[in-house]
Amino acid sequence: MMNSNPSTPMNAHAPSSSSGGAGSPDSNAPRRNSKRPKYSRFTQQELPACKPILTPKWVISAFMLVTIVFIPIGLTSLLASRDVVEIIDRYDNACVQGSKSQKVQHIQSQTTNKTCVRSLTVTKRMKQPIYVYYQLDNFYQNHRRYVKSRSDNQLRNLGDENDTSSCKPENDANGMSIVPCGLVAWSLFNDTYSFSTSNNSQLAINKRHISWKSDRDEKFGSDVFPKNFQNSSFIGGGRLNESLPLNEQEDLIVWMRTAALPTFRKLYGKIEVDIEAGETINVVLENRYNTYSFSGKKKLVLSTTSWLGGKNNFIGIAYLAVGGLCFLLATTFTIIYLVKPRHLGDPNYLSWNRNPGGH
Amino acid sequence: MITTTNPPLLIHPLAFPSSNSGMSLDDAQIVNDSPQVGFVDLGSKRVSHGSRQGDVDSERFSISMSHREIDDGDARLVYVNDALKTNERFEFAGNSIRTAKYSVLTFLPRNLFEQFHRVAYIYFLIIAILNQLPQLAVFGRGASILPLSFVLLVTAVKDAYEDWRRHRSDRIENNRMSSVLVNDRFQQKKCKDIQVGEIIKFSADDIIPCDTVLLSTSDPTGVAYIQTINLDGESNLKTRYAKQETLSKVAEKDRIDGLIKCEKPNRNIYGFMATMEIDGKHLSLGPSNIVLRGCVLKNTNWAVGVAVYCGRETKAMLNSSGAPSKRSRLETRMNREIILLSVFLVGLCMAVSVCAGVWLKQHEDDLEILQFYRKKDYSEPVVENYNYSGVGMEIVFTFLMSVIVFQIMIPISLYISMELVRVGQAYFMIRDDKMYDETSKSRFQCRALNINEDLGQIKYVFSDKTGTLTENKMEFKYASIFGVDYSGEKTNFEGEQRGYYIQVNGQVWRPKMAVEVDKELLQLSKTGNNTKAGKQIYDFFLALAACNTIVPIVVDTSSPAEKLVDYQGESPDEQALVYAAAAYGFMLMERTSGHIVIDIQGERQRFNVLGMHEFDSDRKRMSVILGFADGSVKVIVKGADNSMFNIIDKSVNLDIIKATEDHLLSYSSIGLRTLVVGMRELGVPEFEQWQSSYETASTAVMGRVGLLRKVAINLETNLEIVGASAIEDRLQKGVPEAIESLRKANIKVWVLTGDKQETAISIAYSSKLLTSNMSQVVINSNSKISSKKSLEDALVSSGNFLVSDDQDAGGSDCNTSPPVALIIDGSSLVYILDTELEEQLFQLASNCAVVLCCRVAPLQKAGIVALIKKRTDAMTLAIGDGANDVSMIQMADVGIGISGQEGRQAVMASDFAMGQFRFLVPLLLVHGHWNYQRMGYMILYNFYRNAVFVLVLFWYVLFTGFTLTTAITEWSSVLYSILYTSVPTIVIAVLDKDLSRRSLMTYPQLYGAGHRQESYNSTLFWLTIADTLWQSIVVFYVPLFAYWKSDIDGPSLGDLWTLAVVFLVNIHLAMDVIRWTWLSHASIWGSIIATCICVIIIDVIPVLPGYWAIFELSSKGSFWICLLGIQIAALVPRFVIKMVIQHCKPSDIQIAREADKFGNSLELTGQEIEMNTSRR
Repeated sequence: MMNSNPSTPMNAHAPSSSSGGAGSPDSNAPRRNSKRPKYSRFTQQELPACKPILTPKWVISAFMLVTIVFIPIGLTSLLASRDVVEIIDRYDNACVQGSKSQKVQHIQSQTTNKTCVRSLTVTKRMKQPIYVYYQLDNFYQNHRRYVKSRSDNQLRNLGDENDTSSCKPENDANGMSIVPCGLVAWSLFNDTYSFSTSNNSQLAINKRHISWKSDRDEKFGSDVFPKNFQNSSFIGGGRLNESLPLNEQEDLIVWMRTAALPTFRKLYGKIEVDIEAGETINVVLENRYNTYSFSGKKKLVLSTTSWLGGKNNFIGIAYLAVGGLCFLLATTFTIIYLVKPRHLGDPNYLSWNRNPGGH
Repeated sequence: MITTTNPPLLIHPLAFPSSNSGMSLDDAQIVNDSPQVGFVDLGSKRVSHGSRQGDVDSERFSISMSHREIDDGDARLVYVNDALKTNERFEFAGNSIRTAKYSVLTFLPRNLFEQFHRVAYIYFLIIAILNQLPQLAVFGRGASILPLSFVLLVTAVKDAYEDWRRHRSDRIENNRMSSVLVNDRFQQKKCKDIQVGEIIKFSADDIIPCDTVLLSTSDPTGVAYIQTINLDGESNLKTRYAKQETLSKVAEKDRIDGLIKCEKPNRNIYGFMATMEIDGKHLSLGPSNIVLRGCVLKNTNWAVGVAVYCGRETKAMLNSSGAPSKRSRLETRMNREIILLSVFLVGLCMAVSVCAGVWLKQHEDDLEILQFYRKKDYSEPVVENYNYSGVGMEIVFTFLMSVIVFQIMIPISLYISMELVRVGQAYFMIRDDKMYDETSKSRFQCRALNINEDLGQIKYVFSDKTGTLTENKMEFKYASIFGVDYSGEKTNFEGEQRGYYIQVNGQVWRPKMAVEVDKELLQLSKTGNNTKAGKQIYDFFLALAACNTIVPIVVDTSSPAEKLVDYQGESPDEQALVYAAAAYGFMLMERTSGHIVIDIQGERQRFNVLGMHEFDSDRKRMSVILGFADGSVKVIVKGADNSMFNIIDKSVNLDIIKATEDHLLSYSSIGLRTLVVGMRELGVPEFEQWQSSYETASTAVMGRVGLLRKVAINLETNLEIVGASAIEDRLQKGVPEAIESLRKANIKVWVLTGDKQETAISIAYSSKLLTSNMSQVVINSNSKISSKKSLEDALVSSGNFLVSDDQDAGGSDCNTSPPVALIIDGSSLVYILDTELEEQLFQLASNCAVVLCCRVAPLQKAGIVALIKKRTDAMTLAIGDGANDVSMIQMADVGIGISGQEGRQAVMASDFAMGQFRFLVPLLLVHGHWNYQRMGYMILYNFYRNAVFVLVLFWYVLFTGFTLTTAITEWSSVLYSILYTSVPTIVIAVLDKDLSRRSLMTYPQLYGAGHRQESYNSTLFWLTIADTLWQSIVVFYVPLFAYWKSDIDGPSLGDLWTLAVVFLVNIHLAMDVIRWTWLSHASIWGSIIATCICVIIIDVIPVLPGYWAIFELSSKGSFWICLLGIQIAALVPRFVIKMVIQHCKPSDIQIAREADKFGNSLELTGQEIEMNTSRR
């Protein structure tokens, strides 16, 4: 009965998976997903890399570099700003007297004479071109409902004349679309200025190309003419010459570039002659634009320009301050590093070497 | 039967075959058709294969009826070979499976529905909807929907791709052909068309298409072998049985007609309960009669079965569930900060709306005639209010509008970025060369995707011992036979003389694994049965070869003349014992249902297996009843020493028992696993009595397990001691070094094991967990009072050890007294866990450097993890490999499964799975550290990135009459978090490394950065917020003052702000990048370039108000000067603070990085470091 029966099922061939590595204790247990990960520097997170460490030398150099770059820039900015000659004349209160309501009444009336004469003294020689700006204070040209109330399509394409839905509340008048529509265009600034020197010679104002070329070429259509503009009962500002296409209405184009900040200047024109120091400029202006109802201010600004723009000391001061601070920091760090040096990679600083009870 | 190797309650040293009731290898057929013995067949739960069935059947019927049947209401009735009738009343699921979630039609609605389950998307949606109201339209329609549709689209594409892959695999699965009985002939049928009740035929190597009750197999005894690797990952073969009654039926000829009554579909792959009514007979079916979907038929030419569960009702499908979801600690912290950010957001919005209200109130009279604010609309004949509904409503509208404008204050994109970053981190962990296990060819697995960063803050590691610290590959070492210790010189057979072999039909059969043998014992074993010593050795090895559930499989080798015998079984201990027996000339050759064949010193002998009592964790032993050729019957029992000594007949051979006990002690003190073997001859009356009760018990439908256990306990008494075996479970490679590293990293390693105390302690010594300079506190008590007392004593004594420690505030890692090791056993824990003593145990344990828990049950393991988790904030990690570790793995903050020798249950429950314990070191110290540092930085950076932008918008609002105008175009504000700044933060968070792998591995102490929460804490958060405030002020006010009273237009200034803020946040990130790879360069500088391109594109569209602004702006010097000045001025404070900290209070990481760069070592001096480490 000790018969062995080699043909019992158990003696049939075993699963191929267990046949490998005979005799080796490691050969059992085949597993799924047995692929060894393919080695690459990427998968092992060993990509070649630069590992900069900010040593004291680097830190001090960085601060010094900032100092060296910032101080000269600051100085030149300040110089440039100092060279800019700027004459600012606030004329809104000077041209109309009385209480706020009287002023408002005066400005809203169609009949009153709004001409006003101002004389400005030039304290320093102004080299041409002299930019003529009007400055409005407290006029929120960036007010949400104001900024949104315009139709850029309409300004550009003749076909989009009736695309005025975004222009509310200044979209139609008398049942017809307004071109240009919207609060922005409606509130077009309409004071005018003319200048003459003390010897009564007119100073010509060049009002051509006061707007961006890109605006004239692309943004405002050459075939779009003002239509039905300022025809409603309530007039917000200047009127437009209906025979000129929009891309030639440069005052409008300038006005439509809504200002970023509540106090802003807009270019009115350029005077292209030098004005000597000591001269007096007489300005004849039509004071039509209503800033009285919101206690805004109107100012006339004559300014030369520098590579940095107008007169503004902020950049220069800021650069000098940062440059100076960095110089201070550079010195402070130098002192720190000298007084309390730390050897880089010093194991004494490791938390586990800083045992209170230990070494 | 797909068994777990170590079922829940198994206590380790006796890794006997699995104990899950009735589902382990059923080779213990109780049958015998051998006339020599002549006992009647005993019915068993597993099939009777023998002859002479008739008389038993009626009895069995009555027995099974006496137990509760499966309730008809709860049962599924399957009419064999009658799919129509089966499916008549209840529509059982067909066999087509569908893991895909969507079809072409349902994709859109269902996917959207699922996506909107996330809070983040709801937030997006609400914001987008608010924006559609005309009163609140801040952004244009396109710009407001873009962010939401972008994330929805990305997720939908990802989901669609995944689903397409599922569709494809479903199609492959469903269209596989299988052979189904139709009209009395087997025909090929697509897998998806199989119905419950149909009879299916499988051939060798077929994948089983549905859960099937076996009817017959190619084996005359009805055995079928299956591999369950797809189900539980175990590669060894399991046996399944066809019932005797159906075995002889040929499906094509005899119309099989029967009724199977089985449980409702459930997900327990180890359990199955049913009864089968066939030819008027009533049979009970167990887990050994069913083969499950996904298994592979092996070593069996064919098998025929009847489908009982199909498609989604199969156990395999019911078990396919996702990984458990945990939320990372960092994310929990982050959510707290996000609530703070929401408060900021509400604060900002309140400020804006209140100011707007005040402004409107002040200008109330003028509102009609202001050029820039018209309250009335005169365009119609009727003058009416235009968009004005009173100050109160305006305030509400302003509030909602500001929420829309400032929406990205809550960094919703952060959640999406975090997901992407975790995928990237997981990719690197999976691909890590250093975490690939050569021996099992398994990669690291990331099963949970959302707790990567927790790996960097682990404070406690709870480890299983067997299979985790050790290899769970057992090797027979020593034997003690009748009181004689054979632990002498070992011979290793090399080359020619490779161990024992036998000749079968001219072929050489060898055991697959060679075992080192003891020369003296080998010599003695050859002397045969004649001498006394020879007889004893004969008994011992016969017991080892017979008392098990191992199946020998013969494997071909390259040479046709040689074959290998591979012992397949579930318990590595048993395998080791059988290999050992084979090496000493007792080679198990064949195991069929009713008998085994053992080649004893070249002589083949056949033994009838009359019955078997499987291992269970209560008895902690197993026994087999063997019928010898001479007609005698013996019961052989093997089990754990403490359970065996209780049932050994102490009246005789007392000196042998004493000697054996001594040997056992010495074996276990060197870390060996011991088993004791006993034997007894059964007299005929006793045998018959056992037989009848055994049969009664094993045919019971209910309570079978309990009845069988009772029978076993009655039988296993008064044994004569035969001997004891010692098996070595070798430590895994690199375990001592890994433990040393973890300890240096100030991670506490606790070992929780089911092993004996002596074994556990010795393993702890060899793995360097315990060192000789530690003072041990041992708690072994058997009552609550004694537990309490020993705890108190231990607290006092450990307090004494730690007296000096109290004085220095540095914590336990720098104490000058010897560290304490706590050793506690499971029986003491019974009285401590979940009682008021827990607190004391916790205090004691936290004083101890090492805690070793022995003899603990699985639930106690979880209880110990909970003990720490409840009382401290520290992160816990549990690592284990067996089913007994599942509860602990699920309890811990991070659960790690070892995909080792034992089944896959631990892996299935884990968050991460890996091949070896030592991979814990690179996982925690390297990847964990990186993940934590990266994620912490990314969260803070994202807070900053979004807040700085929101603040710039906010400052501007203060200058627009509080009307929420944005100078920055709406497209730029939408693209800011999607395009301008998102890529670098993700790339850096995936790729940046603060320290090299080498440094992290060399100086495990660097891991402390995670413990101290150095990358993310509230100080850092507030610093970041302060920095954000400063930076936003610089970005906003520098251009404001530079362009004050100038003719700058809104879009131009907006472009300047856009560029300034994008440059700033990217340069800010660049400043913090530690490791510049080409990818970091590409992403950071690429983002800046992409932003410039986008700004240019936006500005060349003529119908937008900002047409050409960027060109006009950049043609002036002031633009460039502002841009440069902003960057420097904004970053100087940050830089200064960073440098001061770096110089005066450098972090460990900083020092290590410097050392790494300049190549100096971090060790103070050799001596000092030694002192340091030896103290731990």
